[in-house]
Amino acid sequence: MREMRGKALRCRPLDALRLLGVTTLGVIMLVAIAAFTVAPRHALSQRPGRTVWDSVYTEDQATRGKTGYNQNCAKCHQASLEGADESPALVGGAFLGNWNGYTVGDVHERVRTTMPKNDPGIYGRQLISDVLAYVLKSNGFPAGSTELPTELAPLKEIRIESKKP
Amino acid sequence: MRVVPLLLLSLCASHSLAHAQSAPTQAPFSTRTGEWPSYTGDTRGSRYSPLDQIAANNFSTLEVAWRFKTDSLGPRPEFKLEGTPLVVGGVLYTTGGTGRAVVALDAVTGEQRWVHREDEGERGAAAARALSGRGLAYWTDGKEARILYVTPGYRLIALSAATGARIPSFGTDGVVDLKTDIDQTILPDLTTGEIGYQGAPVVGRNVVVIGAAFKEGSAPKSYRNNKGYVRGFDVKTGKRLWTFHTIPVKGEPGYDSWKNGSAEYTGNTGVWTQVTVDEELGLVYLPVESPTGDYYGGHRPGNNLYGESLVCLDLRTGKKKWHYQIVHHPIWDFDLASAPILADIKVGGRAIKSVALPTKQGILYVFDRVTGKPVWPFTETPVEKGDVPGEWYSPTQPIPTRPVAYAKNGVSTDDLIDFTPELKAAGLEIASKYKIGPIFTPPVASKAEGPLGTIARGPTNGGTNWPGGAYDPVTHTVYVASSNAAAVSLGLVKPADKERSDMDWIAGVATGGRGGGFNVQGLPIFKPPYGTLSAIDLDKGEIKWQVAHGETPDAVRNHAALKDMTIPRTGQPGFIVGTLVTKTLVIAGDPQVTTLATRPRGAMLRAYDKATGKEVGEVLLPAPVSGSPMTYAVGGKQYIVVAVSGGPYSGEFIALRLPSVNGR
Repeated sequence: MREMRGKALRCRPLDALRLLGVTTLGVIMLVAIAAFTVAPRHALSQRPGRTVWDSVYTEDQATRGKTGYNQNCAKCHQASLEGADESPALVGGAFLGNWNGYTVGDVHERVRTTMPKNDPGIYGRQLISDVLAYVLKSNGFPAGSTELPTELAPLKEIRIESKKP
Repeated sequence: MRVVPLLLLSLCASHSLAHAQSAPTQAPFSTRTGEWPSYTGDTRGSRYSPLDQIAANNFSTLEVAWRFKTDSLGPRPEFKLEGTPLVVGGVLYTTGGTGRAVVALDAVTGEQRWVHREDEGERGAAAARALSGRGLAYWTDGKEARILYVTPGYRLIALSAATGARIPSFGTDGVVDLKTDIDQTILPDLTTGEIGYQGAPVVGRNVVVIGAAFKEGSAPKSYRNNKGYVRGFDVKTGKRLWTFHTIPVKGEPGYDSWKNGSAEYTGNTGVWTQVTVDEELGLVYLPVESPTGDYYGGHRPGNNLYGESLVCLDLRTGKKKWHYQIVHHPIWDFDLASAPILADIKVGGRAIKSVALPTKQGILYVFDRVTGKPVWPFTETPVEKGDVPGEWYSPTQPIPTRPVAYAKNGVSTDDLIDFTPELKAAGLEIASKYKIGPIFTPPVASKAEGPLGTIARGPTNGGTNWPGGAYDPVTHTVYVASSNAAAVSLGLVKPADKERSDMDWIAGVATGGRGGGFNVQGLPIFKPPYGTLSAIDLDKGEIKWQVAHGETPDAVRNHAALKDMTIPRTGQPGFIVGTLVTKTLVIAGDPQVTTLATRPRGAMLRAYDKATGKEVGEVLLPAPVSGSPMTYAVGGKQYIVVAVSGGPYSGEFIALRLPSVNGR
């Protein structure tokens, strides 16, 4: 049985990808993209990818965000950002574990499309960015001199890394 | 693959039963025949199946049979999918999505058979408990089969299991409005009146039992609220058979445990988790939650029956048989959160029909389920009296002599992080601003200069919450997962104004106090293990084994300060879902995703040898395991279905089975 188990694992790279949420079409596209991007790959790896450690919000923005958070979010996620039964924590290991490797843009989209749970879609982009600045601050990421943007494309350029580089 | 001939035989038996014309007296479908007809497999809180095709030697080879995304079952995707499906007769039934729709899927392929949705408009949007809930109930009399569930707007719906259409003869066109006929007027109106239920209904002896849930209660708007009465309905007609007053009304026993007439206006005190039914004895077991105000009870002096009590009722009449209050005058949010587990055990040679209750306190409370007497004595233990102005304190709390607590439930300086002297100092520094102490250390009035609050582990997601435990009827063992490291501050502040709340005190932090949780440089403030899995022998009242459950979180494994240290697996804090027990395995999921050098990002579904606790297999899933797993067999193949969701990953059911061999 042991031998068979190893064999099964080796034979199923596609299944492993499927488990990770990649569809067959997605696999084909990934392969296609990989093929197309062989040349510019070097250029991509040279690109200075920003992370949440690169001072991506300002103190002022986080202060505005705190006000916005306390008015709109704290009722469920708690003033401490620790969450409660039905509302996940926005600080700490579980939160960072879930979003590690994703981007601030992904979190922004998630908030914009699903919050608040009773009336999703009512929060403007600026409010969400401000609140995310406060969430970043609460998780110990450094402030800087540029505000967190509100548009999706630049937000998607800021990667969430739980580990300090 | 080895298939037990007995299993095939019994599968055939269940198939013929499905088409039998005579009405069987007992439920015709059972985990014994490879099905999963109730939320916990049976109505007894067991989560046990005797299936054994998936075993230690092949668990890690499990592959995806099918997957079902719940995104479109509601106006937006759901990121907290907590349901456990049912399987009867080769069809899988589940709730799903932000609209809490019901779907029937082919249990082998995942193909959708039917979908049912209710458009509740404003009433649904104002739900006390939103999202897809934990699941539904299946009922049959041998001629007709029904699916029952509760909508976000608190209406009980009966559907044809075959077509998904409402049953016209049930209630009014298949619907019972649960906000009416409830011995009180739900305020302020039927649309926005706060009451709901996210649990799965349970059916026994043709009675469907429905609990009640409310919004989070640490800082309520008022000390007055609707009451969480529990009701039994005729599964055929939808007629209300009985109502149990979880807060006694004047003239009923227990009314005097609410001093100053506070039973009149206090609310909540519902049953939001799973109800357990003993069909054989005709009894129902209710795990009751906290009264209004999770951390402040000054508006409700007295012990507050049946707050945080286990209550046993007659299933057909709703008459109380016995009750036991687990926490007197609840002010710690120790809602009874897990399904009671029925266990027929043998203690000192004496057969006992027992009921065992896992709790947020990490204590398993075990009773004779006929008499309500503790199997091993509980000691009324003196506890600290607090000093929040206006609060009323119980001088004692019951603590079982055995089994010993299976999770950490108090806090001392010895419990704090000590990986390095610097981290230890940082942890002590944070803790110095708070009050700490053993279990039942009371909340404090938050002061900026300290204490900001009392550090507690249990209330939010410590110990065991709604995922509950599991029971192996062969070995008389309870398997239960628990979280040790969910620190919560029990601090109280006066509300800013009456508009915010008319309570004297609500949960909060004094102005100028620190926020941002209890992390120490990104690490949990407590020592590991952060989460565990325990096996508790109920014949002896002893923990047989206990292991850390869950991969070491990335934040710990990758921490710069811990780089040169070897730290054994820490387990994970959070809602550990499972446990599922089979012939040989205990199965539970990781509540957090991790990324290792040896494998991509994901969360593990783990299998342990149930006799020893040794981990024997793991399967990588794309997101936190967020709903308790279940298992069934169709066509000679065993399946495990589990809900995953969280962070960026929207809700999905994933069905796993063993790889095919030799073209089969």
